[in-house]
Amino acid sequence: MRVTKGAQIVAGTALLALAVAACGGGGGTSTGTSGSGGDTPVRMELGEPQNLLVPSNTTESEGAEALAAVFEPLVNYDENKQVVMGAADSIETKDNKVWTIKLKPGYTWHNGEPVVAQNYVDAWNYAANQENAQGAGYFFGRVEGYADLNPGEGKPVTTKEMKGLKAVDDTTLEVTLSAPFSQFKTMLGYTAFYPLPKAAFGSDGKVTNEYGEKPIGQGLFKLDKPYKKGTDQTIDLTVYDKFPGKKPTGWTKLQFKLYNSSETAYNDLQADNVDIHDSLPASAIASAKTALGDRYQDQPDAGIGYIGFPLQYNDEYKDVKVREAISMAIDRKTIAETVFSGTRAPADDFINPAIDGYRQGACTACAYDPGKAKEQYAAAKGPAKLELGYNADGGHKEWIEAVANNLRANLGVEVTVKPFEKFANILDDLDAKKYKGMFRMGWAIDYPSAEDYLTPIFSTGAIKTGSNYAGYSNKTFDETVAKGDQAASPEESLKQYQAADDILIKEMPYIPVYFYRNNSGYSTKVKNVKINLLNQVEWADVEKA
Amino acid sequence: MSDTPQAGPAGPDTQTLTPETAPVAPPSRGRRRKKEGKPASLWTDAWHDLRRRPMFIFSLVLIAILLIMSFWPSLFTSINPLDARTCDLSTARQGPSAGHLFGRDNLGCDVYARTIYGAGNSILIGVSTTIITAVVGGLLGLIAGTRGGLTDTVSSRVTEVFFAIPQILGALLITATFRDKGLGIWIVVIALSVLAWPMTFRIMRAAVITARSQDFVIAARALGASQSRIMFGHLLPNAIAPVIVVSTINLGGFIAAEAALSFLGVGVQSPDISWGLMIADARSRFLEAPLPLVFPAVFLSITVLAFIMMGDAVRDALDPKLR
Repeated sequence: MRVTKGAQIVAGTALLALAVAACGGGGGTSTGTSGSGGDTPVRMELGEPQNLLVPSNTTESEGAEALAAVFEPLVNYDENKQVVMGAADSIETKDNKVWTIKLKPGYTWHNGEPVVAQNYVDAWNYAANQENAQGAGYFFGRVEGYADLNPGEGKPVTTKEMKGLKAVDDTTLEVTLSAPFSQFKTMLGYTAFYPLPKAAFGSDGKVTNEYGEKPIGQGLFKLDKPYKKGTDQTIDLTVYDKFPGKKPTGWTKLQFKLYNSSETAYNDLQADNVDIHDSLPASAIASAKTALGDRYQDQPDAGIGYIGFPLQYNDEYKDVKVREAISMAIDRKTIAETVFSGTRAPADDFINPAIDGYRQGACTACAYDPGKAKEQYAAAKGPAKLELGYNADGGHKEWIEAVANNLRANLGVEVTVKPFEKFANILDDLDAKKYKGMFRMGWAIDYPSAEDYLTPIFSTGAIKTGSNYAGYSNKTFDETVAKGDQAASPEESLKQYQAADDILIKEMPYIPVYFYRNNSGYSTKVKNVKINLLNQVEWADVEKA
Repeated sequence: MSDTPQAGPAGPDTQTLTPETAPVAPPSRGRRRKKEGKPASLWTDAWHDLRRRPMFIFSLVLIAILLIMSFWPSLFTSINPLDARTCDLSTARQGPSAGHLFGRDNLGCDVYARTIYGAGNSILIGVSTTIITAVVGGLLGLIAGTRGGLTDTVSSRVTEVFFAIPQILGALLITATFRDKGLGIWIVVIALSVLAWPMTFRIMRAAVITARSQDFVIAARALGASQSRIMFGHLLPNAIAPVIVVSTINLGGFIAAEAALSFLGVGVQSPDISWGLMIADARSRFLEAPLPLVFPAVFLSITVLAFIMMGDAVRDALDPKLR
């Protein structure tokens, strides 16, 4: 509605005012947006976030994308996957255990308050506390005192703070880990490590729903109005004047348009109804190359696509032989070439080639071998009926159907394909242990480290609070990863991570199917769109064409 | 769904003026003997008329082919598309070739075989829905029309509630809500039937009410015929013609509705085959490979057309007024 120009905008605004008046409620906020008439927003495609926009409870890509616009992380990553300072001035450590983080001066919250070290302490303590049930709470598991906030289900939490977190002064934050962790600095760019302002907390010390609908950040954009999940089809933002970092030139308004289907979003992109689409559907790739020309971008991406098993509550998939057989029955190469038009690479490791630690061909059961697959599946007495769930809002239908056909043909089983309307639904059903079939899963990295393919997805600790939707638990794996975390040198940690990777390859809790490439496109109205390693747009660089 | 003949004055009322010519109305023994050898019932008349209509013959042939196709698809193709081994992903979207007349779809499956097998579900759903709506709507309409009074008022109001629900939206709601219940394609039949029976109900009711005040019914009542005898012996045979007409026309509509639901993702689910599903699957790559969309779409159109043409022909034959 707001994307009109010239004479029309007057009528549009008047209508909007009328509508608001007629409703009699919720006035105020909407008039503010129509103030700067000619400034049409840059519009980006997004799926509906799973939760309210609270950093510590956002563990999926859509909410993270929105929050990344509102917050400035402590660190960013350059094109070579190396850490560069964001909101932090410096991050130092001597022993990988005690970390001193100096904040860059000049950052203020969107409500005007200055950002202080205590804001980080508050946010992280809140995130780690089991009473708050934050999805990303697990990321603080390495901070000393995490156990005090997580005594276990049903047990009362006696403190509200982690021992290891200290705001030395307004600009200095000292973090003590319970054990040395070499990747800690790399981690800090993740959504969960965003700070929270005082205003976020209600009188009961919890982050309020109002905050979740209209998060106040310290980043480039602030929300124009609260985002009502489920009803609103857009998230509207405006550049925050006092943001000290680089600001975009020539435009100030950003709009996330929420889509249920990435095909629809692609059609809108071609019609210039949305400006940036960073997850083009497989079916669009072939035509995107010609339709968009150099507005189509194909770049390596650190993500991995999997088929997962609900190991925790469905014993049908318990036998690793069954999982291996399923893996061997999938013709990854042809799927990557035909269904994805060459924009995915067949996966052969649990670590993506974009990240240090990848070994080509490491996963032997990832090689296509229908004969052996059938034999092994029959010998292991795999289930005669398989179900394969996927979210219909992410352009996955085709490759899932292709996998289903592979399994039908090569294993001789009945396969039903079950679409879930949104990614959030499938995650919710897995969280609730309701969904019993195999499921599509994907992983976009939080920070560029091999460790990020291991701990958050497969460690025992990530079952309850992280992204371990398989419910996979293996003590040796946990220990090996821990060894890597504590190793003195990066080379030594990598070696341990690869050892942990080997365990995954042997046990196949998920089946890696393909390595992502990022396929994005933008409209004729913008240019210089760069997608970073975390699959987020570098907003400050985007220009209007 | 489609144009329905006007409920009230449709069909048999011209006939009913002379009850003895009414088709199945149980006439007395004496009269039948006199009329022997000279069939003049509505049905024989209609059949006589239909036989000479090219449109009817044409649609009948089409429907016959489609029925054979849905019951014995293997007569038309040697490939069984339900067997995933017949698909070869590496040949996805290939154009027509010797063994694969219509080319291959996105998953490398044969489009021709899938189109042939798709007829089964479409026709099964169309025919089942038609039978259910005709029986349920017809029976309730007969009862409401015969009894009148409170029964009639209540049931008429109920149907009005159903009429207020937009068909596709309502069917979407029902199928989306219950699709996890393991009903397979029957959920589509149920959804469509629930929303479509009021139409047959209304037509039957209107026809029965017209017939009810005819002399021969009054006479039968005066002679002490039982309620059920009047209902099934006199009223039903004289009121059923418009129901048959509407049902035939609706059948095409149901097939189209099934395709629409499958297209939207709530109807027939893969690995079952349906034209709507095939169209939906092929849509995303239409510009690259149009054939996998075109063929099921053409078959769908022809099928719907065939049933509607047949319905039209039957209506013309059964409704002497329109002649």
